[in-house]
Amino acid sequence: MNVLGIESSCDETSVAVISDDRLKANLISSQDFHKKYGGVVPELSSRAHLQIITPLVRDALAKSDLKLNDIDLVCATAGPGLIGALLVGLTFGKALAYSLKKTFIPVNHIEGHIYSGFLMDDKPEFPFLSLVVSGGHTLLLLVESFMQIKKLGSTVDDAAGEAFDKVAKMLGMGYPGGPKIQNASLKGDPSRIKFPVADLREPYNFSFSGLKTSVLRYIQKNFPDKNIPENDLADIASSFQNAVTLALVKNTKRALENYDVKTISLAGGVAANSFIRNSFIELAKTYDKKIVIPDLEFCGDNAAMIAFRGQKLFEAGMKYDLSYAPFPALKEDQYSGS
Amino acid sequence: MRYPNSLKIISEDGTKKIADDFSKTIKNGDVIILNGELGSGKTFFVKQAAKNFGIHNVSSPTFAIVNEYNGDRKIYHFDFYRIEKSEELFDIGFNDYINDKESIIFIEWGNLFPEILPEARIEIKIIVNEDFSREFKFEKYE
Repeated sequence: MNVLGIESSCDETSVAVISDDRLKANLISSQDFHKKYGGVVPELSSRAHLQIITPLVRDALAKSDLKLNDIDLVCATAGPGLIGALLVGLTFGKALAYSLKKTFIPVNHIEGHIYSGFLMDDKPEFPFLSLVVSGGHTLLLLVESFMQIKKLGSTVDDAAGEAFDKVAKMLGMGYPGGPKIQNASLKGDPSRIKFPVADLREPYNFSFSGLKTSVLRYIQKNFPDKNIPENDLADIASSFQNAVTLALVKNTKRALENYDVKTISLAGGVAANSFIRNSFIELAKTYDKKIVIPDLEFCGDNAAMIAFRGQKLFEAGMKYDLSYAPFPALKEDQYSGS
Repeated sequence: MRYPNSLKIISEDGTKKIADDFSKTIKNGDVIILNGELGSGKTFFVKQAAKNFGIHNVSSPTFAIVNEYNGDRKIYHFDFYRIEKSEELFDIGFNDYINDKESIIFIEWGNLFPEILPEARIEIKIIVNEDFSREFKFEKYE
């Protein structure tokens, strides 16, 4: 079976092909398109998705040695994300499926991330704990099968990746904040400044807004002229990164003690952070669990995870209408099958 | 609430009180702009105000640019922080949102694109003082 996946929920346009359970192509606009076609494509623009999507589909098919007619299943992200961006990929996918007389499957972007560990050779084993951490989401979930997902907790304010971006900005480091903070942290002391780790009434929820504010206060108090020496910069970045990691680890640990799982799986753009990756590898070791963290190309937004998830829904017998509407926000606990 | 107005608070509870009082004075079709530096409490203010409309799950709209909530009222919660050009806003249908008079619209970092804000609007400026107390300045434009 040949599956085409399309992802356009936010800044990235991505097209992937999975052929008989093997990933043949996973093209991502920021990496592949810009390299090939050059020029500056505006971010956050539905028009940008519109310009890129056709050449990406063409390239993905060529890379997979397939013709359009060989595609058996078309899967596209339906939400959550920016409505204008979602509409491009979803409508493109529907129209393509309709014209080819093939089945169309709308995919929940978060579910794509949750199962992205299955794109690796060493796959998660059910039941597993999934921690989805990105610029827009921070979710802890209990995943019992391909059709059973239970949300344990999520952020009540800022997403973890957003906190990275904003703190990087406060430190004058620029965008994207994740890699900048990670690099600056290498020479820093993570225990020098005790930034707060939120303790919330719901044991699995996260909060990063207070942490962001306390970094701001620390900077204002100690460096009112905004002139931060390099070693202090490294310590602030490192201490902040440590506080985010502690928050993520704390809730995951709590879940490990209350749920009997086989695997811990980390997903989303923030899972690219090596300090966080290492902390979760340690955590898994302590609790004698398997750990699965996708390769970098599957951490950020990508269509491979959408194609994979779509195929699983199809195999489970899920049927969808071509009138399926995009959804910008994730409705409370609304996952396929659960 | 009278405009212009300036209120000083020293704690999060103070912000809650202001947001509660403010939410009672707004109606459908109102556009509320929140300006203030990172960490000044813009999202916190909206979170508190929305509770009075039966909405308890407000989170940061920075990444999504706009979050939509349906409680006793419909709320669109924008954040211009990540926007680089105003064209991007039109691209995601900003005009359609702004013309929806059956909803209340909050816009964080509205001062980044003053040229596209509607004439009739309420602006809230949050100033963080050196002792971390905050001043809320309310202004209404007709």
